[in-house]
Amino acid sequence: MRLDEFIEDFERDEAAERRRLAKEKSYAITDHLEDVQRQLDETLQGDALFGSTAPEIFVGRTNYPRVSTGLLSPVDHEADATEFATSGAWYQQGLGIDDVLQRRTGLLNSRRSANVDVNDVWDGFVGVQREVAIADRPVDVEVGLDGKPDFDLDADSVRTPTGPSATAERADLAENPHVPRPVEKTLEDDEWQAEGAMNYLYQRGFDVYDINNILSAGALGRGENRRLVPTRWSITAVDDTVSKFIRGGLRNQASVDEVSVWTNEYVGNRYWVVLAPGQWEFEFVEMKAPESVWNPRPEGGYYMSSAYESYEGRTGYVEETAGAYYAARLGVLEHLRDRNRQAKCLVLREITNDYWAPVGVWQVREGIRHAFEGERGVAETFHGAIRQLSPHLPVTFDRLRRKSNLVAGVQTSLGDF
Amino acid sequence: MFNAIVSADTLRTTLDSVSVLVDECKIHLNEDGIEIRAVDPANVGMVDLSLSAEAFESYETDGGLIGVNLSRLEDIAGMAGSDQLVHLELDEETRKLHIQIDGLEYTLALIDPDSIRQEPDLPDLDLPANVVIEGRDIDRAVKAADMVSDHIALGVDDADELFYVDAEGDTDDVHFELDREDLIDLTPGNARSLFSLDYLKDMNKAIPKDAEVSMELGEEFPVKMHFDIAEGQGKVTFMLAPRIQSD
Repeated sequence: MRLDEFIEDFERDEAAERRRLAKEKSYAITDHLEDVQRQLDETLQGDALFGSTAPEIFVGRTNYPRVSTGLLSPVDHEADATEFATSGAWYQQGLGIDDVLQRRTGLLNSRRSANVDVNDVWDGFVGVQREVAIADRPVDVEVGLDGKPDFDLDADSVRTPTGPSATAERADLAENPHVPRPVEKTLEDDEWQAEGAMNYLYQRGFDVYDINNILSAGALGRGENRRLVPTRWSITAVDDTVSKFIRGGLRNQASVDEVSVWTNEYVGNRYWVVLAPGQWEFEFVEMKAPESVWNPRPEGGYYMSSAYESYEGRTGYVEETAGAYYAARLGVLEHLRDRNRQAKCLVLREITNDYWAPVGVWQVREGIRHAFEGERGVAETFHGAIRQLSPHLPVTFDRLRRKSNLVAGVQTSLGDF
Repeated sequence: MFNAIVSADTLRTTLDSVSVLVDECKIHLNEDGIEIRAVDPANVGMVDLSLSAEAFESYETDGGLIGVNLSRLEDIAGMAGSDQLVHLELDEETRKLHIQIDGLEYTLALIDPDSIRQEPDLPDLDLPANVVIEGRDIDRAVKAADMVSDHIALGVDDADELFYVDAEGDTDDVHFELDREDLIDLTPGNARSLFSLDYLKDMNKAIPKDAEVSMELGEEFPVKMHFDIAEGQGKVTFMLAPRIQSD
């Protein structure tokens, strides 16, 4: 499809309608929070022993290296614990912001403070937590709580939000967790660098969500380096490590042969992905609506942030776009790996007012991964494509050019002359 | 056979010009001097360097090719004071370079030249504009641009006969212009190209502040920068591919 026809198909009215719906739905969350609190009070009445099924773990980053580390398990015993764990399936099921918040507020974080240094710690609370993290399905546990849970909803831009939490005195496994063979292999080999072990698991078909849990529990890497990794850091570390691995494999591959544009919209985020011929370059530009979460200066209109890497990659952390950069880059590299091609790539992310609560960086990863399933528009040149897209973006071409290295100019190589 | 004595200063200037782009390089040992040509892994920046036998205190070779790890060799050269001499001798048998600095001996394992990235062909470009500018003016332009942006436009205004630099950032701009008076020489022609500051900053590090740099420019074309090192006994050319909008 030609890019101009492709753009015509893109309807903005739909977005306005969804925005109205989202506003209504935010009240539903408040009601839901009250329900969960009631349910918690009922479940935990009298004794503090709490039997549940834990699908994943959480490691906080405050006070590192003495962090809060917890088991996440649904308050509702009847619920299917698998559905509460962050995964790509959430996108496929079409979960909205409210659905995600509902699931996460229904998960109790039974936590303890622990030192991150966990090499060989397989007993006690931390041991149970690590067993849960390396298992490939939710694990039945029994948790002894100390006092009443705090009712809270805690969100940031990278990790999935967490709901109520309570201090745990102890935890016991109520079953023998099932640990997949490749995970056992990485676990047993304490000479294996964490990066290599992550890439091994990825190649064996584990998605980054699984690897994130395993890394977070300090179950990968050389023995003396094994530590609990705060969930937020771990998500980015896995995206970055796996992406570098894929990027390395594409370094000497041929380039895509035409300029293509894909788009996708998910939970109030609109994505445009532009791939163009040439050597690998990647840039991620965010445009945050004045009313959306995380716009630090709403009075300044759309807030822009960006991060870029050249063919050689980047070394520093991306301050402006944080974990979203790494999640988007992974989605693009997976697509290029499937085609065995390299490309110059610009990802534009418009955060609309519909994005009224941050649900975590998984939505960026899945939004990009699934963008490639849709129709694509083809343009003659990279800058031709950007000029055609420009009227559909919330910022002027000039602002975009000032913020984006690729829009300012794509890097040529000496061989082109 | 290769046996040479060179001042630490000359050796360091030579190595610095190459190490800003690559970690390893091939050194051609010719009867009239050494030659190095290297391009960075992305094939964006290139260096072409020659250092004549006259730049050395003594120089003897019957030809050859060696591969070196530049940062290792720079570290060793860094052990010498600027007026000290460095004695280099190739051991053909062991493929090692023996380096002596005032009693200090270092044996450097060489790299198989075949394992180093192939040397690039020098693109044959006929660029319309040429300016001759002091190294310190390039330094000023690059430093100012770096405050606001990741890239820098270098151009020549044919009509007004001036060389200019533009950098545009998120919010701030830098503009810098030099006319015929400020330049050592100017051959006007329409030229404007955008370059990555990451590369230009690295190249700038290797350009002596008092060097006369001859800069060839075109419209969205690579820039070539020629300058002398080792009191005119060495010649360096940097070439850098632009970031372009027309593609």
